[in-house]
Amino acid sequence: MTDQIVEKVAVQTEESRNQSRRAFLKGSAAVAGGVLFTKAASAAEGAGYDPKKAVAPYAGKPEITEVLQDGAARKSLGFGVRKYPYGMPSPFEKEVQRRTLEWLTPDSMASITMTPLQSLHGIITPNGLHFERFHGGVPTINPDEHRLVIHGLVERPLIFTMDDLKRFPSISRIHFVECPANGAMEWKGVQLNSVQWTHGMMSCVEYTGVRLSDLLKEAGIKPEGKWIIPEGADAAGLTRSIPIDLAMDDCFVAYAQNGEALRREQGYPIRLVVPGCEANMWVKYLRRIQVHDVPAQHREETSKYTELMPDGTAQRFSWYMEPNSVITYPSPDFKMQGPGKYYVRGLAWSGRGKVAHVDVSFDGGKNWKEAHFTSPVLDKAWTRFEIEWNWDGSEAFLMSRVTDETGYVQPPMPQMRTLEGTNNVYHRTAMVTWRVHAWDDGKNGGMIENVQY
Amino acid sequence: MFSTNKTLVAAAVATLFAGSASAMSGSSDGASGEKINGKYAANYEEIIRAADGKYLDAKVIEAILGKDATYGRDGLEGKLDPANPYSFEVEDSIDGGNHGNAQCKIPAAFVEVHDSAKANYYNDSKFVANGFGTPIAESALAKWNIVVDGDGKGLPDPSVGMTVEEGAKIYVQFCGMCHGEFGEGAKGYLPLAVDENLVTSAFDDPAPMKAVGNYWPYATTLFDYIRRTMPFWTPNAPFIGDKGYMGMTGYILQSNYVKLDENGTEIQDDDFFNSEMLMKANKFMKNQGNFFCDHRPVIHNERCMTNCPDAQVGDGKGDIHHYKQARRLPDGTPQYNVPQRMHEDPPGVGHSGM
Repeated sequence: MTDQIVEKVAVQTEESRNQSRRAFLKGSAAVAGGVLFTKAASAAEGAGYDPKKAVAPYAGKPEITEVLQDGAARKSLGFGVRKYPYGMPSPFEKEVQRRTLEWLTPDSMASITMTPLQSLHGIITPNGLHFERFHGGVPTINPDEHRLVIHGLVERPLIFTMDDLKRFPSISRIHFVECPANGAMEWKGVQLNSVQWTHGMMSCVEYTGVRLSDLLKEAGIKPEGKWIIPEGADAAGLTRSIPIDLAMDDCFVAYAQNGEALRREQGYPIRLVVPGCEANMWVKYLRRIQVHDVPAQHREETSKYTELMPDGTAQRFSWYMEPNSVITYPSPDFKMQGPGKYYVRGLAWSGRGKVAHVDVSFDGGKNWKEAHFTSPVLDKAWTRFEIEWNWDGSEAFLMSRVTDETGYVQPPMPQMRTLEGTNNVYHRTAMVTWRVHAWDDGKNGGMIENVQY
Repeated sequence: MFSTNKTLVAAAVATLFAGSASAMSGSSDGASGEKINGKYAANYEEIIRAADGKYLDAKVIEAILGKDATYGRDGLEGKLDPANPYSFEVEDSIDGGNHGNAQCKIPAAFVEVHDSAKANYYNDSKFVANGFGTPIAESALAKWNIVVDGDGKGLPDPSVGMTVEEGAKIYVQFCGMCHGEFGEGAKGYLPLAVDENLVTSAFDDPAPMKAVGNYWPYATTLFDYIRRTMPFWTPNAPFIGDKGYMGMTGYILQSNYVKLDENGTEIQDDDFFNSEMLMKANKFMKNQGNFFCDHRPVIHNERCMTNCPDAQVGDGKGDIHHYKQARRLPDGTPQYNVPQRMHEDPPGVGHSGM
C-alpha cells in the first residue's frame, strides 16, 4: 500500500491536480481525490474512469510523503511517567479552546465562553472545554468550609457538610447543560460563522451526585412547600424558583463531572443539576435551598430569562430546553475537500427526554433522510448522529431536524420567527442552515457558510 | 383567575397574527377526542399513554385540544386557560391583588414528569431518613437568608429605610459609574431606566431596551437583587446596609417613574422609602400584567420526509435561495462580528443583553 502511494504521488504534479479539478467541473467524474486508493476507484471505472490517469489530491506536495520514514518520535525516547501529574492535551490541539465574544458583555466576571463543538467527538465534553457562564466571577471555595442548608417550609432544617453529602446514595447520569441564550445572537439574522458561536453555550458531561428528592425528603417538606429556591455561595448569589414537581422529577446535587470533582467554573464543590432545563437553574456553588410557598420572582426569572414577544408580552418560567440539533461536520469551520462521499455528523438533544429521530436535508428542507446514531441514546443528553452524503459539487443547503420521544419536531426558523418575533433573546431553537458553496464557485468553492432563512 | 390584562393582550395578538400561524402549522386534519367544557379531552392521559407517551405529537395534541386550540397564536392563547392540560398557568393569584398570576406549573399533559415526581416523592411510602446532616435552627441562618419574594416576604422592618434623596447619594457613589447617575447606563452596562415601548411591528425593528420601569414585573426583585449582588465588587455591603439598599431601591424606582397608587402619586425626594412604600410600588409596576407562563411549544409540525410543504421549506415560502448572510470582511471572508470588527458599530448584539 505504501509503495503504491509513493509511486502514484511521485508522478503527480500540481498541473495534473488542476486537470482533475477541471474534470470535476465538467461533471465527468464525481469522485473525490481522497478515495482513489480504495476500491471506490475501481467502482468508478464503469463510469469512464481511467486508472492510468489517476491523480490524487495534494499531488506533488512533499509534506504528504516525507513523513514516510522514521522521524523524531521513532528515533528518540519520549517523556517519562509523571511528567504531567495531571495530564494535558497534546500541544498540537492548542487551538481547541473555549472562546468568547468580547462584545457580548462589558466584563469577564459576568460573561460566557463557548465550547468548540466543531472539534468535539462523541457526546462527552472534556472538563476543560465545558462552556462557562458567570454572573459574578469564579470563586475558589474550600470544600471543608462549604455547607448546604435546606430550610424554609420543612419539618427539619438541615445543614450538610461535603462529607455528609457523599454519604448519601449516589447516582451518575450523562446530561447536556445549555444556556437558554444559546443562539441568541442569531434571532434577526446570521452574524457568526462557526458552530462554536452558534451553538457552543452548551456542554454534555457525566455528573455524579445525590438525588435532590433524597435530600428534600430528609428535611421533610411541609404541605405548603410548593417551590424551592436554590442559591449560590458566589458573588452572584444566583437564585431561581423551581416547582416541587420538577425538583422531585430527576434533579440532583452533583459533586463530580466526568469522574472528577466539579471544576470551579462549573460550581465546585457542588451544583444543582436540573436535567433538560435552562442552565441558569443549575445553581452553582450551591449553599442553600429554601423551600417556599411561592416563587421568589427574582431577577433571573423576571428581568432576564423571560422571552419578549412581538406584542410586548413576555414568557416567564421557561424551564425546558426545546429539542435542538446541529450539523458539526461539515460546518463553517471546515471547507469541503472536493465532490464525493462525506459522512455528515452532528449533535441532537432534547430537554424533554430521548432523541427519537434525526433527519438531514441537503436541499433547504424540501426532502429529508433519516440519519443513524453513532452514540448511546440517553435521556436529556447529546446524541451523535451521522449520515452518508454523496456531494456532486453543486450548491447545497444542509439542515438537521430532531424529533424527540415526546413527538415534538424541530421547526424551521421562519416558522419560529413568525410566532415569536426576533426579540426573545432566549430559546432560539429552530433549525440552522449551512450553505455549501458549489465546488466551482471561484475562490469560495467548497466554502461552508452559515445562512438563515 | 389569570390576569385580565394579559388575556386582552394575547387576544389582540391573536387577531394581529391570525392566519399566519395556522397556515404554518403544516398539520393535517386530526380526529378530535372527547372534551370537557366543550374544549379539552378529559381522558387526555389515556390518549397520551395510548400514543406511547408522545404528549407533544401533533396528532395527540389535536386529539386532546381540538384543532383550533392547538397551533400557533391560537394555541398560545388557549394555554392561558389553566384547565388546558398543556397549560403552565395556575388558577391562583398570590395576594389577590394587582400583580397578576405569579404561579406557573408543570402542565398536566407532561405525564412522565408527574409519574417521576410521584415515584420519587408523592407516592414514596418507603422512604427512611438516613439521618445525615445536622439539624439547624432558622435563627442561625439570619446572615444567609436574604430571599425577598414577590409578596414582600423577607423585606426588612418598615423602620429600616431612608429618604429617596439620601438613597440617590449612595447610588451615585456606588452605582453611577456603571449604571449612570440617572440610570442611563455607562461603559457598556445597560441602563436601569428607559421607557421604551416593548411592542414591535416588524422583525427587523431594533430590540426594545428592557429596564426596571418598562419591563420588570415586581419592585421587590429590585431590593432583593441589588442587596444580593451589588456593588458588583462587594455585594451585600455592610457599609450600605439594608437601609441604604432600601434608599437606593426608592431612587431607582423614582428614576423609572413607578407610581404608588391609582392616582399616579410619584415617589418624592423627601419620602422616607421603606418596605411599606416598596410594597405600594410593587402593585403599580406597569408591565406586571404582561407576563404569562412559558407555553412552548406552540409549533407542532408533522415529520415530513419528501416534498415538504412550502411553509417548511427554505424561507417559509418554498424558496431555498432566499436567505440572510453574515457580513463579510473586505477580502470576502465570512466572519463573525463584522460591523464591530470594522469599527462601524459599537459593541452589542442588538438586544439588551443576556
